[in-house]
Amino acid sequence: MPKCTINGKEIEVAPGTTVIQAAAQLGVEVPHFCYHPDLPIDGNCRMCLVEIEKMPRLQIACNTTVAEGMVVHTGSEKAVQAHRTTLEFLLVNHPIDCPVCDQAGECYLQDNYMGHGLHESRIELEEKVHKRKIVDLGPIMLDAERCVLCSRCLRFEANVTGTNSFEFVRRGDRTEIATFENRPIEHNYSGNLADVCPVGALLSHDFRFKTRVWFLESTDSVCAGCSTGCNARIDQRDGIIQRLVPRRNVEVNKSWLCDIGRMSYKDVELTSRVSGARVKGASSGDGVSMETALDSVAVKLKEAGKAAAFMASPQATNEDLFAFKTLAENSGGTLDFRVGNPQDRLQVREDSVLLRADRNPNTQGALDLGMGKDGVDAIVKACESGAIKVLVLQGPELLRSAEATNAIRKVPFVVVMATHESPELEAAHVVLPTTMWAEVDGTFTNFQRRVQRIRRAVPAPGEARPRWEIAGDLLRRLGAPMAGTSAREIFLALAAATTDYKGLDYRAIGHTGRVLGGKPEAATASAPASA
Amino acid sequence: MAGKVVTVDRNTKPGIAPILLGHWITLKNLLSTLFGRGLATVSFPEQKRKTSGRYRGIHILTQRDDGSPKCVACYMCATVCPAECIHIEAGERPEATIEKYPTRFEIDLLRCVYCGFCVDACPEEAILMSRENDLVGTSREELIIGRDQLMDRGKLAEYGQGYHPDAHDVRRPVRIAALERLKSEHGIVPGPPPRRD
Repeated sequence: MPKCTINGKEIEVAPGTTVIQAAAQLGVEVPHFCYHPDLPIDGNCRMCLVEIEKMPRLQIACNTTVAEGMVVHTGSEKAVQAHRTTLEFLLVNHPIDCPVCDQAGECYLQDNYMGHGLHESRIELEEKVHKRKIVDLGPIMLDAERCVLCSRCLRFEANVTGTNSFEFVRRGDRTEIATFENRPIEHNYSGNLADVCPVGALLSHDFRFKTRVWFLESTDSVCAGCSTGCNARIDQRDGIIQRLVPRRNVEVNKSWLCDIGRMSYKDVELTSRVSGARVKGASSGDGVSMETALDSVAVKLKEAGKAAAFMASPQATNEDLFAFKTLAENSGGTLDFRVGNPQDRLQVREDSVLLRADRNPNTQGALDLGMGKDGVDAIVKACESGAIKVLVLQGPELLRSAEATNAIRKVPFVVVMATHESPELEAAHVVLPTTMWAEVDGTFTNFQRRVQRIRRAVPAPGEARPRWEIAGDLLRRLGAPMAGTSAREIFLALAAATTDYKGLDYRAIGHTGRVLGGKPEAATASAPASA
Repeated sequence: MAGKVVTVDRNTKPGIAPILLGHWITLKNLLSTLFGRGLATVSFPEQKRKTSGRYRGIHILTQRDDGSPKCVACYMCATVCPAECIHIEAGERPEATIEKYPTRFEIDLLRCVYCGFCVDACPEEAILMSRENDLVGTSREELIIGRDQLMDRGKLAEYGQGYHPDAHDVRRPVRIAALERLKSEHGIVPGPPPRRD
């Protein structure tokens, strides 16, 4: 374990650690462009030069391995002068169009030149080398003038997706990045190109001109697009999600997020959200207050007793599932959960990077809670035979499957918790509005059995409530209220009742999640075997 | 600091002199307003009060030669605005040199505090202030004025331009202070070093 001193602070690091990583561990940031923790080292930007004692010249921090007794100065006069010089070279042909650049506010170049006070350029704007601007590459917009030629995008394409779309063309100060014949980026990880680009050369088409980044408020959460559970950050402004960006978690998604997941925030804002409760045949049209709807459901549940069936949804959080399970146990009915969404004709099923064919974020959580025992088929058969008097669905997935619709039609009272309006909700007698992943606190358990926190970023539409709250309201009406009145408390109850989750709470889960002991149970046949 | 104690004897009779003095002052003002130039009031709205060239009245959005807004929708004004009265939506204009422009630019004149920060913040000199100050409307909606009204305002010629950056470079002292702080705290002297020819 070599020991080194960085800016007077001593640190012991693992062998093979580079100076920039050791500095980051100490909280010292070395300015850089081309270095990225999840990409191979290139060392071309020359921005991270640091002074190392007994070495005659400045060294790049990103590609210098820490050796025993090394003494590094990142902010010495010599190093800062080198940063300034490098920066000035990078800015020679930069168009300085920060007012119209979406990267402004999170741009390495901008941060650095503001830090060094390089406000005046020695090159007049007219004398600068002009390159191509506003090149539409499908989901990505290329502006070659802003590029600092750090090759992060090239390395991302080469090492993460293996598509090699980008290449440097021309020479000298006319060098720029380009795709062959300006072909658009077509793989499922294009959004990451905008994230890895340290400047405004590659920008997301989706986020283009939407808002300036300093207006955004961020919430750490998890992408609910599939069972990988990529760590993500929800950026919202005035209660409207503007974008979803990856959050680094080396164990799950590194620094990446697929485009399907990235665009999943759009479902949250769709105008077709269910915002109020509906009861078929209610005197005041179909729309009723949430309380009235819950009252009618509770009455039917009491009547039905063991003739009630419960179908959980793997879209729900662990808290939702636990509350739902408690509800099912209280009424004595049968319980299972539905994997997969039969109506999704998935074009891209899964790839070798992040995306998994199981597009439900919490299948593992449902399995961990002991669901999937009574059998979906058994419940559907019971519906068919008329044995089921009340069917409570935690999501509308079952209504969409062709083989179940006929059986469900025979059930006299169907309750569904729904997020979006859709034609199959016609089959339900009571529709309860519920929240989506960006609107609740809770936890998901991903395919690795990693329990991860999701957090409420935006308000839910209308009367929509979290699923655990709906289950809790019903339990209260049945005379057996839940122990908790918040997601945190329900998770504590869950942890106390479930062996694998013992001792866990929201603080223990933290920002990057906690892996449960034991091997993951194999999901049902529709889930993939491996990533 | 201790105050000075003044003792007033209220039992003394003032006599006629102060009364006459008071009358004289009133008469003097009457004569000066009737015949002289000391008139303090103006017959608004027929007559307008004179304002200085730095008067901060209703905003102007400036235009390019082709009539398009100079504004590039950088949101600097909306960011700095303490009243949060500026609402911008940006759009794309691929044919122009600068691809970003405001599709909507609204100022709620009732929320605006006329501080002029938007003028200071603008990097394009796209927003200026006029000397127009008679703001009248019959509803709140009417006083939320949009991009085209801000660009083309009939009364502008009548009132003239108000606060704008080149007449009085308010940013200069701020910039100088920032540079001095950089030098004293970080030892950085900004700007390119002098050329050695």
